[in-house]
Amino acid sequence: MGGAVASVAGRGQTIEQVDFALVGHQESWKAVADVLAVLRGPKHAPLPDDEIKDILPWIPPRAVCHVEVRSVVNAKTGGAKARGLYIDSFIPPDRLEAAYVRENLARVRGAAACAIKAGAKIASLGGFSSILIEGNFDQLPERHNTVFTTGNTLTVGFIVQGVKKMCALEDRNIGRATLLIVGATGDVGSGCARCLAPIVKRVLLSARNLERLRRLAAELEADGVQVEVATDLRQFSVEADIVICAASLASSSLLLGRVAPHAIVCDAGYPKNLSPSAEMPGAKVFFGGLGQITGGLSFAPDFHGILNRHPFPDVVHGCLLEGMALALEGRFEPFSQGRGFITQERVEEIVAVATKHGIYLAPLYNADGPVEDKIDCQTEWVEGMSGEAKAPLGAML
Amino acid sequence: MEPVISLNSSAIQCTSLSSSAPIWQDVLAQAITGELLAAMNYTSLSEICDDPEEVADALEHAAGERGHAAAFAAEGRKIGVEVSSNVEGMHWKRLREAFMHCIAERDFIGCLMVHEIMQESFAVASYSRLANVGPGSLGKTFARIAAEEEEHVDHAMAILRAERAQDVQRFDEKVHRLHLDVMTTLAKMLAKECKDGHCEVCHGNCVKPSLFEVSLSAAALRGASLEQYLKTLDMLGLPGEVTLAWVAQLPV
Repeated sequence: MGGAVASVAGRGQTIEQVDFALVGHQESWKAVADVLAVLRGPKHAPLPDDEIKDILPWIPPRAVCHVEVRSVVNAKTGGAKARGLYIDSFIPPDRLEAAYVRENLARVRGAAACAIKAGAKIASLGGFSSILIEGNFDQLPERHNTVFTTGNTLTVGFIVQGVKKMCALEDRNIGRATLLIVGATGDVGSGCARCLAPIVKRVLLSARNLERLRRLAAELEADGVQVEVATDLRQFSVEADIVICAASLASSSLLLGRVAPHAIVCDAGYPKNLSPSAEMPGAKVFFGGLGQITGGLSFAPDFHGILNRHPFPDVVHGCLLEGMALALEGRFEPFSQGRGFITQERVEEIVAVATKHGIYLAPLYNADGPVEDKIDCQTEWVEGMSGEAKAPLGAML
Repeated sequence: MEPVISLNSSAIQCTSLSSSAPIWQDVLAQAITGELLAAMNYTSLSEICDDPEEVADALEHAAGERGHAAAFAAEGRKIGVEVSSNVEGMHWKRLREAFMHCIAERDFIGCLMVHEIMQESFAVASYSRLANVGPGSLGKTFARIAAEEEEHVDHAMAILRAERAQDVQRFDEKVHRLHLDVMTTLAKMLAKECKDGHCEVCHGNCVKPSLFEVSLSAAALRGASLEQYLKTLDMLGLPGEVTLAWVAQLPV
């Protein structure tokens, strides 16, 4: 983190320049404990688990740390950089279900208000923050000069890139593949469908709402794509070779018998919870939608490996990277809003912006580790991380 | 024919509260002690005010806090308990000392920080929770007094915001310095267990483990108090990431 940002933050003053805000929350109690441990500092003993569970629900949404991202553009002369804040809505990890939707919406609104108050020019909504607001941007506080993006377009970009890369690594012909998208009618799922349908043999779309499924199918069929829809995976007539789980599955075993034995499975859900399972030993599972910053990423206080709990350095969810990329580009616009508007052209546009600033598809990995054989120095596996930290559950950024 | 026993509402309430009366007795003892301390603080504050209007305001507030203490004592009598108080109790004494340190330095702003930002956040949040579970007039009294305390805070906030605007860094450093003393004491008071020994206000064993019997918990009171405190600091404009670290470092 730039010394200026750190020192100003240390004096207890608001930094003058807040280009972006990243709105998120922790996915596991372990992640919450680690965040609080950093905040408590080395002089104070870590809080007991029961105290953490008692305290967290009472913490109002607020900034947790300053974030600085650097571009690779003109890197020799210092490069472009953007400064921002990570704002946590402090949604308790055990309250992510529908029963708490009102309470969580209030927390997301509170976090959004923090972004506005800080003067952020653009705010990316991570994790459930975007799911809750998707299609309901009018539920955010009055915007003033802050624009909001769900970041879903860049997430789709990295999912699509990941699927293509995995096919190449596994020597699969994507043109002959049957693609299954679980959670197909969501913003991310439908975006993936629009991008990949034209290049695969057949598309299977699964979601809970049959009417929305039919609308999406009609849209794809108009472009000559073979499409099947089903609200139950067991209803499909063929097995899938490639699966994108854009909605969290309770268990990878739900895919049993629905996918080819050596299927490529992209876990693009939130939280990511699919593991290479003993039941599907031949399946190639990887976590999708993640990008890596190569120009530089820093936090003040230092939350490296805490807020971005991924096994590779400077890996961040695409949804949050979208706001950072747009900030580096100086494009403070609500790039992704609403549901069902992500097109291939928009994906290419945001991927180009990210690439220009050195934000690329992250190395592919799953809960067991990297899935690529060759890893260069930039993507070196972080050996020093604990087993818990290696597991991406709990990764916020 | 005259009834043998007059079944007025107080008697009914007294009967229905008999099992939880000892808990409310201790809760009220803490509340009365807090109110008496607040009255003492405002009286002390009046002695360092130069402006006659400020002197009058402080004395009016002191009278108001004594009224609150009397109202709580009356609620105790309604449920058949005599409520004591002890401003010399371990934690309350320390809070008073922190305030008197500001008085000794004729630090009006410091006094407001200690009393309005810290102690009143605790009072407003706790009373609001107690209002939700307090039966009958007891709950209503807690609700009424919570609302009145909140008005005090609003009044002080305008003064404190203006002060902060003059020198943000100095203001925030002072809040932090006082936080380390006062909020540490309040955090100990609100901890699940009294690790430093008996608080010298509860009439028997510590009341906190029994609070569940009246649908309360020390954890909920602490959580609500810290939430109120953080929101108050937010309203003053202190950076959220800074105040979050302060609160995270408090003892549990």
